[in-house]
Amino acid sequence: VIAYKFLRSGGTSAFTAFRWPLPADGPGAWVEAPVAACRSGIHACRPADLPVWAGRRLYEIELDGEIVEERTKVVASRGRLLRRIAAWEDDVRDAYTRMCADRAHDLARELPAWDATIERLAAYGPALIGYMAARIAEERGGPAAYAAERAHQAVWLTDRLT
Amino acid sequence: MAEHLSCQEVVELVTGYFEETLDADTLSLFEEHLNFCDGCEAYLDQMRATIAVVGRVDDDVPDDARARLLTAFRQWRGT
Repeated sequence: VIAYKFLRSGGTSAFTAFRWPLPADGPGAWVEAPVAACRSGIHACRPADLPVWAGRRLYEIELDGEIVEERTKVVASRGRLLRRIAAWEDDVRDAYTRMCADRAHDLARELPAWDATIERLAAYGPALIGYMAARIAEERGGPAAYAAERAHQAVWLTDRLT
Repeated sequence: MAEHLSCQEVVELVTGYFEETLDADTLSLFEEHLNFCDGCEAYLDQMRATIAVVGRVDDDVPDDARARLLTAFRQWRGT
């Protein structure tokens, strides 16, 4: 199974600080861990999960062994990084941040208190402004609008990264 | 189930996060929030630093004092 994984700049996981074997001339080494959602195992994104976990660097990852699908992630017992997706850092990250900010402005046209925060929050990068755009959608249309905005973000990213 | 947590909810769940008592769904929501919220991530770092410095309080609190403290904490959390 091919999925995606965000890492910090140094190649470490955001929450465990595990240092991943990075791909060089070929894939990185396999990493193995028993599956337990959020506790153990190789955690990765499906395309629909990309907005939720947006981070500094993005890699394509191959998953194998036991694979469990969760609400916003997939967890496997084996995984190895196949390649760094340079487009994320080259221009997609900034373009996505701008797209989310513009969407947030559109959604907040009748919500001036929300609108006033958007540009300041966009400076923190894609994860926060993506969330804020979805929250503003939710403020107008409830949880379904939140989910729809997240889905829109996922399609936008998938079209450019996968 | 909510699709996301607020900063206040994250703060209320911090003890469970450190004690690894959050269920998988709540833990996922907790980490999703940390992924976009630098403020809560900084708060978590401060809590980690505090725990590292202070460590665990010796378990020599009298029973009546422990009961009063627990009651006070529960009332505070409910406000």
